[in-house]
Amino acid sequence: MTDNLIDSNKSQKYIVPIGPQHPALKEPGHFEFTVEGEIVVDASIRLGYVHRGVEKAAESRTWTQVLYLVERVCGICSHAHGTAFIQNAEALAGIEIPPRAKVIRAIAGEIERLHSHLLWLGVAAHEGGFDAMFMYSWRDREIVMDILENFFGNRVNYSVNIPGGVKEDITPEFAEQLRIKLDFLEKRLKHYLDVVNDDVTFRARTVNIGTLGKEEMTRLGATGPTARSAGITRDIRVDRPYSGFDIYPINMILDDHGDLNARFVVRLKECFESIRYIRDVLEKIPEGELSVKFPRKIPAGESMSSVEAPRGELFYFVRSNGTENPDRVKVRTASLCNWGTIVSAVAKGHKLADMPMILAGIDPCFSCNDRMVNIVGKEKNAQLWTWEQLRKYGINYHAMQEGFNVSDCGIEQLREEK
Amino acid sequence: MTALHPLFALFIFPAGLFLILISFFFEWLDRKLIARFQNRQGPRFLQPFADIFKLLAKEEIVPIGVHRTLFMALPIFAFACVMTASLYVPFFGFKAAWHIRGDLIIAMYLLSAMTVCLGMAGTNSINRFAVVGATRTLTQLFAYEGPFMLALLMPALVAQSWTISSIADYASNHTWMIVTQPIGFIVAIIGLIGKLELPPFDAPEAEQEIVSGALSEYSGRGFGLFKIAKNVELVIGLALITVFYLGGIVNPLLFSIKMVVLLCVIALMQSTLTRLRIDQTVGLWWQAGAILSLAQLLIIILVRVR
Repeated sequence: MTDNLIDSNKSQKYIVPIGPQHPALKEPGHFEFTVEGEIVVDASIRLGYVHRGVEKAAESRTWTQVLYLVERVCGICSHAHGTAFIQNAEALAGIEIPPRAKVIRAIAGEIERLHSHLLWLGVAAHEGGFDAMFMYSWRDREIVMDILENFFGNRVNYSVNIPGGVKEDITPEFAEQLRIKLDFLEKRLKHYLDVVNDDVTFRARTVNIGTLGKEEMTRLGATGPTARSAGITRDIRVDRPYSGFDIYPINMILDDHGDLNARFVVRLKECFESIRYIRDVLEKIPEGELSVKFPRKIPAGESMSSVEAPRGELFYFVRSNGTENPDRVKVRTASLCNWGTIVSAVAKGHKLADMPMILAGIDPCFSCNDRMVNIVGKEKNAQLWTWEQLRKYGINYHAMQEGFNVSDCGIEQLREEK
Repeated sequence: MTALHPLFALFIFPAGLFLILISFFFEWLDRKLIARFQNRQGPRFLQPFADIFKLLAKEEIVPIGVHRTLFMALPIFAFACVMTASLYVPFFGFKAAWHIRGDLIIAMYLLSAMTVCLGMAGTNSINRFAVVGATRTLTQLFAYEGPFMLALLMPALVAQSWTISSIADYASNHTWMIVTQPIGFIVAIIGLIGKLELPPFDAPEAEQEIVSGALSEYSGRGFGLFKIAKNVELVIGLALITVFYLGGIVNPLLFSIKMVVLLCVIALMQSTLTRLRIDQTVGLWWQAGAILSLAQLLIIILVRVR
């Protein structure tokens, strides 16, 4: 009898799984929310469904090829990835790119930020069940996509960077076209900011939801708009200005509320800042060459570089061994830094209904942050296998499944000799 | 209006088959309006019909862990509830197919029974999304049911009859009740949105959290029947509010225009508001909805006593 009572008490808690396939998720990831009624008491996350081995693939490609490869790490911030990587390569090769190229890189980065933030605005509103905002912001995002397509030839992976500079020049005609479109976009963004600040039902879903203080955010290592929404002054464009931002500085947008609404406000205000920056810089792009010659082989060495991607700090480590290929490329994306703020801090105590919006609040990008980590620690059962061993294991395993012994027919030997 | 043969009225027109067909039109209009408000194209005219047609022809998968008979019976029961309720409601300016004393209570009871069926369908399954969805459906039922019922009972109080047809007659011969009882009208309209689980009260089937709520495990015919039941419920709700608050039984064209205008209002609210959490929904209904309708009730009583 008592056992039953205890069991029935236990059964009040149960796990609501979200993902890997779920209507709320546009990319695969797995979350488990332990709920008591509607209140979430525990959260866990499992990533790695879209690990693609980009870092490993980079090691067998030339420097130029790797640039196009890393642009495909993320479909939304492809320019940030390309810039972060190529800055490393240029630093190792000892190349200084022309100022005009630097500024064009910065402008492309800001256009990308506009499209990323508009995309996020739509997704986050959709997660809260506000589909009208979703539809309208994605319609307006098409304007940014048109700019990207007209200028760089592609809507998504636009490859502005080439090793040693940029591919496309900003002509006066394009600048004029850009200004007209930015004017319209600014009008629309003002409207969205009004909705975010004033709409009663929208505020009911965002104000004081997912609040995290400055100390907690710092402890958990949040970056990007997520950190800035809690008042942490952390913006790579300002802290360590890279291409273009060292010539013309950009302002940092801060908010001190740290809740979901602050994340909306910070991102929208960043859009205004981006528009202002693009407008200002278009007036005074330095004249000069677009690119300098880039060597085929890069001297041995190590380099690190950070770029402020729309989601936060994007970090690249590159090691060269003096050949045509990089020896090691390490990527750390902003989403990975921000996961901790949700899973270990914000989720607990909130309602299940708030979870999709809180999850979307950090602007997660799943396929960017999936990395393989090989931990060789004190645990005995951790194993390091060579490729040969793995292959042998695979052959044996499948032979066992088929029901014959490989060593008898000599396939194994044959392959080993080969 | 000339009297129709009772059986014809029951099965073909205005209740029965015609009602199901017209409910497709209203679903299409609702979806199309929301789509246009949201700057989308929206579905084609025959889309809802095609959806239902396809669903009814599809295999119905019975998941593991459910009570099989209940699983199969609930959609039919829900459908039957709604179709029975429709018999007492005058549609499109035609007299109701049937009327007995106190049929307003019966109609409201049957409409609530349909929601209870939804809740049972959710709790019947072992799917966690369905269970959470069912909990929310039933919680929401307790939230809007009281105010919504009061909002529909107030015309009855004024007309001094519990029969829908006599209230309709009263409404046709007097000032529109939207003028005399504006609060009741607002509560009724918002209550209808809550009853149909449309945005912003769609927490019970919030796809971002709990996939499809109580109906997560339903497919094929069962899902199709639930869908028809909800569409018909929409038409019944619109018709009831139109009859009670917008001038009773008038000629069919005018009546349809009134219903479409009501639908426009509902669609506008659906597309401009953010989904409320279930606790916010309940809070809103008990803090604002209930008090508003009670105030309206008090006004009616005071006026009548004087």
